[in-house]
Amino acid sequence: MTYLDWASTAPPAAGILGEAAAVASELYGNPSSRHGLGASAKARLEEARRRLASAIPGSPEPSGIVFTSGGSEADSIPLLALLRSALGARRDGSIKRLRLVTTEIEHAAVYEQAHLLKSLGLDVVFVRPEADGRIDPEKVGAAVDKDTALVAVMAVNNETGAVQELKAIAGAIARASSAYGRGPPRFHSDAVQALGKVELDPIASGLSSMALSAHKVRGPRGAGALWTSAPIESLALGGGQERSMRPGTESLQGAWAFAAAAEAANSGFAGNMAKARGLEARLLAGIGTIPGALALPLGRQPGDPRYSPFILSLAFPGLSGEVLARALSDLGVAVSTGSACSSNAKKPGRRVLAAMSLPEDLTLSAIRVSTGSLSTEAEVDLFLEAASRAYRKLKT
Amino acid sequence: MDAFYLIKVGEILLKLGNRKEFEDRLRSQLHSRLERAGIGHKIDMTPGRYFLTVPAERSAEAERILSRMPGINGYARAIKTEKRLAAVLEAAVEVARARVAQGKTRFKAESRRSDKSFELGSFELSAKIGEVVLAACPGTKVDLHSPEFTINAEIRERAYVFGDPEPGLRGLPVGSGGKGLLLLSGGIDSPVAGYMMARRGMALEACYFHAYPYTSQEAQDKVISLARLLSSYTGHIVLWTVPFTEAQLKIKKDSRMDLTTLMMRSGMMRVAQLLSERIGANCIVTGESLGQVASQTAENMRLTASFTDFPVLRPLVGMDKEDTVAIAKRIGSFDISILPYEDCCVLFSPKHPMLKAKLGRERAAYEALGLEPLLLEALDKAERLELS
Repeated sequence: MTYLDWASTAPPAAGILGEAAAVASELYGNPSSRHGLGASAKARLEEARRRLASAIPGSPEPSGIVFTSGGSEADSIPLLALLRSALGARRDGSIKRLRLVTTEIEHAAVYEQAHLLKSLGLDVVFVRPEADGRIDPEKVGAAVDKDTALVAVMAVNNETGAVQELKAIAGAIARASSAYGRGPPRFHSDAVQALGKVELDPIASGLSSMALSAHKVRGPRGAGALWTSAPIESLALGGGQERSMRPGTESLQGAWAFAAAAEAANSGFAGNMAKARGLEARLLAGIGTIPGALALPLGRQPGDPRYSPFILSLAFPGLSGEVLARALSDLGVAVSTGSACSSNAKKPGRRVLAAMSLPEDLTLSAIRVSTGSLSTEAEVDLFLEAASRAYRKLKT
Repeated sequence: MDAFYLIKVGEILLKLGNRKEFEDRLRSQLHSRLERAGIGHKIDMTPGRYFLTVPAERSAEAERILSRMPGINGYARAIKTEKRLAAVLEAAVEVARARVAQGKTRFKAESRRSDKSFELGSFELSAKIGEVVLAACPGTKVDLHSPEFTINAEIRERAYVFGDPEPGLRGLPVGSGGKGLLLLSGGIDSPVAGYMMARRGMALEACYFHAYPYTSQEAQDKVISLARLLSSYTGHIVLWTVPFTEAQLKIKKDSRMDLTTLMMRSGMMRVAQLLSERIGANCIVTGESLGQVASQTAENMRLTASFTDFPVLRPLVGMDKEDTVAIAKRIGSFDISILPYEDCCVLFSPKHPMLKAKLGRERAAYEALGLEPLLLEALDKAERLELS
């Protein structure tokens, strides 16, 4: 199988999984236990925390790392904490007015939670992207009001690869809140597609927290982390693990494997990036030779710093992206699409692309091609040939 | 221990001339369904009554089969005893106690006696049952007008005592109405149409047009699930999956945009004609409902039906969607039908499809497409799957 679906999940590194299995069976003590086995597990967990922190650009303090079950849970901690602030603030039980500012292009882990918060009575503002798939920092600033408690903007979009200007957004948030005579609200970023793929220093970018996932960088499923500059009063409570932000007995093997995978991604960053740029150029050049096919957003050029070279959205007008993905799978090529085919007209399948005001024949015909550290030019060529063949045959 | 059932049949009894044939059919179907489920059983028949004996631990499965057999009006788990008053009364108390345990108190007793030598007449027997149940089950009372349960006693070659029968599907035994080819999609309507015809005694084979990769593997799996569900009513079904991609591509390429849906349906009807001939079906069954979508107007039905000389039976044609949905929920197909593997073609179907086909003109358009070789090839490659 030619695997070009790295943004969905990356093939796990066998060595890392093996190491994790050994840690799981040898250091089985509960890190909270008072005996020696517990203490060794705890020591190893803290070592994983240090290693992960140092694999993040800017090397933030390890104490800011909260191990979670994955990216979605890491997103949910700061988002659902808003409920605790909103519901717990008033003695009479009424809801305190709180605003969450987020965007139309967030991953479901943020987008669906934001809609839930809205349905529960919070004031939620969704900022629309520009045609290039990026969020205008000034629009985020304009959405911030005196009651804004959290702003959540993803670092790298999982469908278009658009890299958001987090630092400029942080600046716009700060200016907006100072106009109300207040300190800035918390600023969270879903950085699941950023780790190992763009240089994202959370502190220098002005973030308060960011969500990370292990399996996007060749680690195992079920492991992720929230980096946070200050403790969050989490909605979920339990045994006080992870500084009470993520209750539950820690997955030592998950944390250990995540740290190892993040280190590998970090040390391979420059090489992987250069290779990805090469593959991006090859893909964009190849798409140009398939009559009718287009890269999204329209006019995307190789080497454009506004996009992660690891993720490309490609449209094949006249052919549903879902159908093309199926046909490519039969030809041995794995790519992805959003759920393109929704018979429910009220809930169009391609929310992110649609938010960029792209016409339906482009959004519905889009597929996502994503590369990673093991991807090769030969794979890109195989994809292009298969896509060209399938498109010619199936286009209507 | 054995569970013993008394089975009521209804409409079969009206079929004076060929009642035996209907009864034999029902019997052999019940037998083969139980056998396929691996349930040991014994079936006895007397005029108007069937009796089924199965091991008690398989009673839930046997009841599921009884509840899904067209031709059965109702069934009741009964106690079979000797024809002695004391034994009948003891059984009546047992039946009552089980109902009382469910919180029911108001009851009546009904008796029938085909053996006139029994020591009490029907009326006296009912009264006696009432008396002993009242004494044995404190809190119960007789209510002849709106009882919560009924205790039935039938004195035949043996005595049978039972509570209220569970309703059956009614209708006629499958196969007594010939065989139909059901055009089965993954939607809500066609499985209901198949069920309705099965209930009228029609044996079914089903035909699904698969346009991979335009329709997904999941969509095909869903159709297989629907066919399997239908087989729980028919006992057995053959599903034909006809690869339709090439024909569809040809239509998309060469047909006028507003006619694509009609041309596709015409081609499907042509395949259905050929397949019906091959399998010996004597009609084609569809889930069409008047005006539901653009292709389901009377004019368009005239066009599509002109590609077959079999009767096209459309049991849902005059039904409201909500009524169809209610049946789909009752028979268990709804939850399968609404699985989200909607056929993608909907995205590329014409925005303004032809509503009122002119027979001659649209037939000519169809002929001009020259689909026949592709349809024959599709039929040739059709896959046959037997489900029960």
